[in-house]
Amino acid sequence: MFTAQNLISVCITSILTAGLYAIMSYGLAVIYGVMKVVNLSNAGFLMLGAFMTMVYAQTLHLDPIAGAFLNIPLFFAAGWLVYVALVRRVRQALPIASLLMLFGLWLVLQNLALVVWGSEDQSIITRYTYKALPFFDYRVALTRLIVFSVALAVMAVLHVLLNHTYIGKALRATVQDPEAALLAGIDTERISSFAFGLGTAFAGFAGGLMTLLFSFTPDFGGPFQLKSFTIIVLGGLENLAGVTVGATILAFAESFSVLFMRASLQNVVAYALLVVALIVMPGGVASLFGRRT
Amino acid sequence: MISSASSSSPGGEDLRPGGGEEDHRPGASAAADGGRAAVRVRAAALLAPALGAALACVPVLAPRNITLLNLGFFTFLYVAQGLAWNILGGFAGYVSFGYAAFFGLGAYTTALLWLSGWTPVLTFPLSGLLAAVFSLVVGVPTLRLVGPYFSIATIGVGEAMRILMLNLDRITGGASGLNLPTVVPSKAWFYTAALVMAAIAYATATWIRGSRFGLGLAALRMDLEAAETLGVRTALFKNVAHMISAFLVGVCGGLFATYFQYLHPDTVFSFTESISLVLIALIGGLGTIWGPILGAAVFYAVQDYLQTSYPTLHLLAYGILLIVILLFEPRGLAGLAARIWDRLRPGAAPARSP
Repeated sequence: MFTAQNLISVCITSILTAGLYAIMSYGLAVIYGVMKVVNLSNAGFLMLGAFMTMVYAQTLHLDPIAGAFLNIPLFFAAGWLVYVALVRRVRQALPIASLLMLFGLWLVLQNLALVVWGSEDQSIITRYTYKALPFFDYRVALTRLIVFSVALAVMAVLHVLLNHTYIGKALRATVQDPEAALLAGIDTERISSFAFGLGTAFAGFAGGLMTLLFSFTPDFGGPFQLKSFTIIVLGGLENLAGVTVGATILAFAESFSVLFMRASLQNVVAYALLVVALIVMPGGVASLFGRRT
Repeated sequence: MISSASSSSPGGEDLRPGGGEEDHRPGASAAADGGRAAVRVRAAALLAPALGAALACVPVLAPRNITLLNLGFFTFLYVAQGLAWNILGGFAGYVSFGYAAFFGLGAYTTALLWLSGWTPVLTFPLSGLLAAVFSLVVGVPTLRLVGPYFSIATIGVGEAMRILMLNLDRITGGASGLNLPTVVPSKAWFYTAALVMAAIAYATATWIRGSRFGLGLAALRMDLEAAETLGVRTALFKNVAHMISAFLVGVCGGLFATYFQYLHPDTVFSFTESISLVLIALIGGLGTIWGPILGAAVFYAVQDYLQTSYPTLHLLAYGILLIVILLFEPRGLAGLAARIWDRLRPGAAPARSP
């Protein structure tokens, strides 16, 4: 079981999965970071992103990768709208109010999708779906490689956006200290709507990419949503760079768990990790190291 | 102290601090409000036994009306669970998305003991007890989390339980489910049993709300640290509230298993089961007594009506309703009913304008 061959192939899978996990969790982290709102509707937008990509493929014969990119502006607008119409109105209330509001939105999205597309499994098959590339002695599914590289590229663009543009710097300032940002003349209200749009755009984009790897139903988002929570908690909630760390930890933990237990229990690893991380290290993995030094 | 408690009690929890009418009112009108509220409470206290007695007559008058008895059974089961959920979620303000775990554990306890020869009714206390013990195991670590973090942790716990149960196929029957004996009591018996459960949950919730324990829960909901400073043993209170509500939901699970004669981890441990309780309490009115009752009645009626054409369309309707309620009437249907009640009483209108 523990041959070097096995370990290396599990590592390759983990790294590829980590890319996907990072891109799907980034939106959640941005929204939480800027406004401390737990976006339960992320699952709904992830699912909607997958279905929209399917719609483009069916009507416009658009490739899923192009579809995922097309989702970005559309979902940005949708997220902006959700913030202005719903979230802004309950932000002054207890934190649980916005969580419940977005939970309601998730229910609406999920069940609307059920009415429109039914509950059957959907999938998009492209010319390259079943292709694999040789990688030294191993074979790597082409779709996984594509998802990983596209996710990495988009995160690189985001990095540039956050570090070198005004709105990106303003966003990071708001994450660090909303009041100080306000005092420095940053329109935090506008940053919030921008962040919600950006977060939702990420969900739509990730959902689009995921059609390359998974089949999907209107219930599609739920398990990924919980994994995203695990990732941002592991990464240290307010730390955007932590998302990559959290995604890597979760991907490795899941892949290696398969060596020890039934594959059907894989999700339990993520959920257990979520509860443990919330209780033991609310500041993320980084806080464990911080305490020691 | 007592008068301020009674004036805030019928209002329930308000999610918008600025919108809490009872909290931010000048003294004089608050007293007037309290007086009206007291009338409302007295009327409600009389209404409940009367309603219960009237509903108890149904199986005697129409013992063969299966549709009506089934409607009653499911509605009362939801009423009992909504009231139970509300003890932690509403009174203490800890919104849990994981109650399916208690429901499922209760259902499987009854099922397994029944299969080994017990009479189902005798297993109900054990079902409740097991759910309560599990709630303690989960609650001790997770109830240390506040607000949204607790909610997220409970989603994780609930889903983890569902998957674990699906994989414990030796015990739960796994994905193929568990068939139970087919010799069961009449529908009228189930109707009455569920009504009794709802009455027990109502009595428990009403008693807690008026007790020192209930005041402690309200205090820790409003300000955890302040409550602790005043000597409320918050950790103990939260866990006891969690256990009481888990016990009630566990017994409901047992009753459900007896009725259905077939169990599957995906039905009794489902996320839908968990969110049904959240929706019932929220839409009815978080932290009120009548909220979950109204919420459950509407919830099951809508679900039953839409079930045949779209099995989950009621969740769409409830999602929209949830958003609307959070935007316009955070006190839910109970708050709406209280508003209408006040509007109908003469002399109430002037005090309403702030």
